[in-house]
Amino acid sequence: MLPLILALYASPEERALIERLQRREHQALAELYDRYGRMAYSVILRMVRDKSTAEDLVQETFLRVWNRVQSIDAAKGAVGPWLLAIARNGAIDYLRSSAGRERNAVELNETGHAPLYGEMEAEILLSDQARRARAAMDKLAPNYRTVMELAYFEGLSQSEMSVRMGQPLGTIKTWVRAALQCLRDELGTAVSS
Amino acid sequence: MNCETLREHYDLYALGIAEEPERSEIRSHLDRGCDTCVPGVRRSLETAALIGASASQAEASPQLRRRILASIGAEDSAAGSAPQVRRSSWWPVWAAALVAAALFAIAVYLGMESQRYAEEAAGLRGEMRSQTAQIGRLTEAFAILSGPRTIEASFGGAQPRPPQGKVFVNPTRGVLLIASNLPRTSADKIYEMWIIRKGQGAKPLPAGLFQSQDDGNAMHVQPGNVDVASAAAIAVTVENQAGADQPTTTPLIVAPIASSTP
Repeated sequence: MLPLILALYASPEERALIERLQRREHQALAELYDRYGRMAYSVILRMVRDKSTAEDLVQETFLRVWNRVQSIDAAKGAVGPWLLAIARNGAIDYLRSSAGRERNAVELNETGHAPLYGEMEAEILLSDQARRARAAMDKLAPNYRTVMELAYFEGLSQSEMSVRMGQPLGTIKTWVRAALQCLRDELGTAVSS
Repeated sequence: MNCETLREHYDLYALGIAEEPERSEIRSHLDRGCDTCVPGVRRSLETAALIGASASQAEASPQLRRRILASIGAEDSAAGSAPQVRRSSWWPVWAAALVAAALFAIAVYLGMESQRYAEEAAGLRGEMRSQTAQIGRLTEAFAILSGPRTIEASFGGAQPRPPQGKVFVNPTRGVLLIASNLPRTSADKIYEMWIIRKGQGAKPLPAGLFQSQDDGNAMHVQPGNVDVASAAAIAVTVENQAGADQPTTTPLIVAPIASSTP
């Protein structure tokens, strides 16, 4: 229950930050970077495995947030998870482009759709939960962890995972579902209910 | 498809790996603000965000923060309160202040020459400010040049009397124009860049004013988002000093943009 309680009381700072971004205060972007820059860079670097490209994509991410921040509801929104979704989508887009893979931009863009991040726990990425998320991933069985990493960090579809891992599609789907269930069980109190 | 059926696909949707027809069905429920699916997908997006948060922490270069702030034209204001930027952006001012202080001491010592030294210091400060601004422009230009989705177009190659050069267009970082052999404009005129849009009746979008150097070279950066899909070309006209809302002269540069967009 603690994270949920924190969500009720810990978000005014984040709301104020969103409002300042919406007022186009440059310093607010600096503070946003100080809050989430390292996390965005870590995720993108994990995905593209090249420091220079990762920095370009982080810059692109923050510019996207700056240009689209009017679409998030300052009274409800959680800018961190939204920013992370934009960062991930940009990196997947880059990976797909550079590998000549089919793009899947529609759905990825939807997961970066700001209104979906309304009423989400504002501090979800800043608290102890990031450490808990790492622990939960570490606890997964190797095959489960692999499919989660391929899905999240490489943006592979289940069919692509099937080819990559040399496993039947049905097996991959089973692993994905089981891995997600394990994560939910581990992080159950971390996400709002 | 009802919400109960879709529930088990929320996590897959949030990860971007849901399949059809569930994917379209969830999208449809979200579009109509479904009371079950919106909070359900939101929870799944939280889980997805936490998977991202599990990535090993890495440290970007100290320059990245400055690059990002420079890209929104925030270098000076951010420098006032952010330690990292303060170190890198204010050193010319501190240096100028030290120079000014040194000059003042010398001026006192030398008496009659104080005025000359003070003017020299002021000139130095102005030069440093100018160089800081130039660095900001170059940073923006580099961000466009190095962007993974930057499109390049040339102009003037077949003309006997150029201007010649290239434009680089990035959907999120802006437009960079590099030109040579630009004719000298009269004192009351200025170059104005335009984004020419596709479709009849679509008004060109103004994309900033610039002057060429004495040798006819010019570099102009217009930072910000560019709708590449709707852009047909980048053009440059000569306008009055204040610029214009729409082109009033025949463009002397037209660089068509390839239609394929990321």
